[in-house]
Amino acid sequence: MRQPLKLHSSIALSALGVGAFLLAWEALARSGIVPSGLLPSPSAVPGAFLTEFRSGTWQAMVFASLSHYLSGLALGTVLGITFGTAAATWGIWDAFQAWVVRMLRPIPSIAWIPFAIIWFGVSKSAATFLIALTVFWINYYATYSAVRGVDKDLIELGHAFGQGGLIPRLFKIVLPGALPGILAGVRAGLGQGWMTVVAAELFGISGLGARMSDASGLLATHIVVLYMVTIAALYGVCDFLFMQVQQRVLAWQK
Amino acid sequence: MAKVNGTNVNGSAVIDLRGVAIGYGAESPPVLVDVDLSVERGSFVAIVGPSGVGKSTLLRVVAGLHTARAGAVTIHETKKPGHRPVSLVFQDARLLPWRRVAKNVRFGLEGLPISTAEREERVAAALRLVRLDDYGRRWPYELSGGQRQRVGIARALAVDPDILLMDEPFGALDAITRHSLQDELLRIHRETGKTVLFVTHDLEEAVHLADRIIVLGGSPARIVQDVRNEPGRESGGFREQVEQLRSGIADNYSI
Repeated sequence: MRQPLKLHSSIALSALGVGAFLLAWEALARSGIVPSGLLPSPSAVPGAFLTEFRSGTWQAMVFASLSHYLSGLALGTVLGITFGTAAATWGIWDAFQAWVVRMLRPIPSIAWIPFAIIWFGVSKSAATFLIALTVFWINYYATYSAVRGVDKDLIELGHAFGQGGLIPRLFKIVLPGALPGILAGVRAGLGQGWMTVVAAELFGISGLGARMSDASGLLATHIVVLYMVTIAALYGVCDFLFMQVQQRVLAWQK
Repeated sequence: MAKVNGTNVNGSAVIDLRGVAIGYGAESPPVLVDVDLSVERGSFVAIVGPSGVGKSTLLRVVAGLHTARAGAVTIHETKKPGHRPVSLVFQDARLLPWRRVAKNVRFGLEGLPISTAEREERVAAALRLVRLDDYGRRWPYELSGGQRQRVGIARALAVDPDILLMDEPFGALDAITRHSLQDELLRIHRETGKTVLFVTHDLEEAVHLADRIIVLGGSPARIVQDVRNEPGRESGGFREQVEQLRSGIADNYSI
């Protein structure tokens, strides 16, 4: 058994770890072992940020990517939870769609990029489509197994107390019971969604990924690193906010 | 099998079982056969017998959760609005963990044609009855096993049932909690006058609580004893009654 750390020592150790990582990186970049064009030093990133921020590029890219991300995330999450719940609760539908799901599931979202561009052009809709696709599958499977995993005894309880009809059963037992698993899926989608944002934008749809692609073409690696850090920070903020909501919604868990 | 919701035709009987047989799956032989049982309104009937004789399933047949293989089940429900004819207390309390205590008690009242004010009043009254007045805002995980079971009883009583079905409700509790809840249940039975059908494998519990004890035994099982009982652990014949039931079960117990 591991000894649990006190909160302040755990925070201190995390900060120490990040500091050590940055120092090692800076040392490696300055040592000249790696050519400076290949590995920018972390100390170059604040300067890059100021330049990008003053020109308004940073804000514009963040806004563009966030709007792709949020619309794709919302669409994929809602559809994934809906279809996952339907498949898990309705046997006929489950059997009907099972093989379609098996065929479509293994295709990674980025493999849909050609079609996304043919159908939607190099546009916000194309990015939204790709992100929604990624997020959809995560939520579909998380919801499916969460709903299937709801305690059958609680379903019996519903029947015993007049809540056995489809609507009360779904909204008073199945979905609340599956909620922890569904929210775990939403959270996983939150992370995977960002990966698809970058992948979609590398193909030219304006945003953080496109800016990184442009900068790397000019060997402006410190700009690339700036946007990598930006994505990490945006993901961190999204995940942190979601965790706050999740803790509140699942306050009934021990 | 016919399930009839009729008005009272058989004196004061609230449950009438006629020739009820129970099995699991069409292929397997029935586990319980020839159950003829009339339960009088207001009585406290214990059903005892070894594991596997279908005690809990018989309770579920009365609750309408399981369909009998054969026979007729009649519930003579009082036709009053805003109540459910039967309600069930489970061995595992079975609270919805995402609902606070008061909302768990409210569960069976949802969908009944009663006003919000009456609903809240009935929730409060049920919690008072099980002495958990101040626990409405707690989450189930904050309760002890005994308190959780009290909430389960309050939830069952809140729907004002004709029949309270209890499926080994104290089976998972420690001895001290079990004894105190048994006494609470006797008090609640006295105060509410509800008909109770109580499944247990604990003969002493049956003799302590019930005014009538039905013993199931044999293979396939059937009713082997149907005895009147003076409830209470202090009553004179307590030991004799327990021993008599024990030997009755042993005679009919085939392994």
